[in-house]
Amino acid sequence: MPSPTPRPDDPAAVLRTSPRPHADAAPTVLKIVIAGGFGAGKTTAVGAVSEITPLSTEEYLTEASADVDSLAGIEAKRTTTVAFDFGRLSLPDAPVPLELFLFGMPGQDRFVDLWYDLSRGAVGTVVLVDTRRMESSFTPVSFFEDIGLPFVVAVNQFDGAHRYQPEQVRTALELPASVPVVTCDARDPNHVAGVLLTLVGHAVKNASASRVHHAPTTTFQDA
Amino acid sequence: MSTHGRAAEESTFVRTYTLTRGRTRPRHLLGLATVLDAGPGRLGPAQAEECEEILALCRERRRSVVELAGRLGRPVTAVKVLVSDLLDAEALVVPLTHPYADTGAESGPSTQLLAALSAGLKRKWPDAIAYPQAG
Repeated sequence: MPSPTPRPDDPAAVLRTSPRPHADAAPTVLKIVIAGGFGAGKTTAVGAVSEITPLSTEEYLTEASADVDSLAGIEAKRTTTVAFDFGRLSLPDAPVPLELFLFGMPGQDRFVDLWYDLSRGAVGTVVLVDTRRMESSFTPVSFFEDIGLPFVVAVNQFDGAHRYQPEQVRTALELPASVPVVTCDARDPNHVAGVLLTLVGHAVKNASASRVHHAPTTTFQDA
Repeated sequence: MSTHGRAAEESTFVRTYTLTRGRTRPRHLLGLATVLDAGPGRLGPAQAEECEEILALCRERRRSVVELAGRLGRPVTAVKVLVSDLLDAEALVVPLTHPYADTGAESGPSTQLLAALSAGLKRKWPDAIAYPQAG
């Protein structure tokens, strides 16, 4: 017996009944990158807020190998596989329907091509820091400084690790006062959501700041 | 992205070559975050089994290139090649997104969109930790 009302999950029914032309349009996708060294908790952080179990996704990268045959003038290239994490969550209750993609970025700088791919058009980056391996955060931090992508530093509080104060981490990583440094438990969705909100707030500030301060500088340089 | 030389000797690369019938470049412009929807077209008879999997996944809901690659356990480039075939056959389509200002990939999302993201996150996690803002 047919049901009296169309099922809301029937796309055809939605199309028939919806007066709005874009009701079935795909949500706007926004990206956030979670960077950090090996074992800093990237997958854990992605999984804490993702609606799907984080997917380990592979991509091929062609990298110039160390041995270059200069006589032939042909660079020896080597294709390697690099894995990164992917998670997503939908925000249907946002003022406009949004879907947030989260990318867990591998920490080694030989994957810099992938870093560019993941960062392009992103809201910004959370650099997850494991204070037991602080040095692995230097490369991602300088990469995002260089490309001008807004980032925040989140110190993952591992059980049993020495608890550093955010300001100690700021000093160790030589971060300017404008970069937010927070501590979090990457397993806790409320912590990770708080870190994401901090990043979004920072990105908004960055966007307004670059419009106010940087635009005239460019004009002077051009003149 | 090209796969030449020594790398092709490795079996995983050979498997991927077979999957894409030797093609290493997708015919369509596809990003990691490009979202795909099932379309009206049908698959040709000689398509890889993975194309059926992609179609089945996209019939359930819209999926991004990166998610398809993750679920299939295949490299992103290979999945882009297969997705291009499916776009040609109109078995997949790139759905229209909501008509909100996309400021372009290089400059990042607009402050308006960031405000919407912030509101959406707060609604989803009302108990999210409120960290003090720096600067």
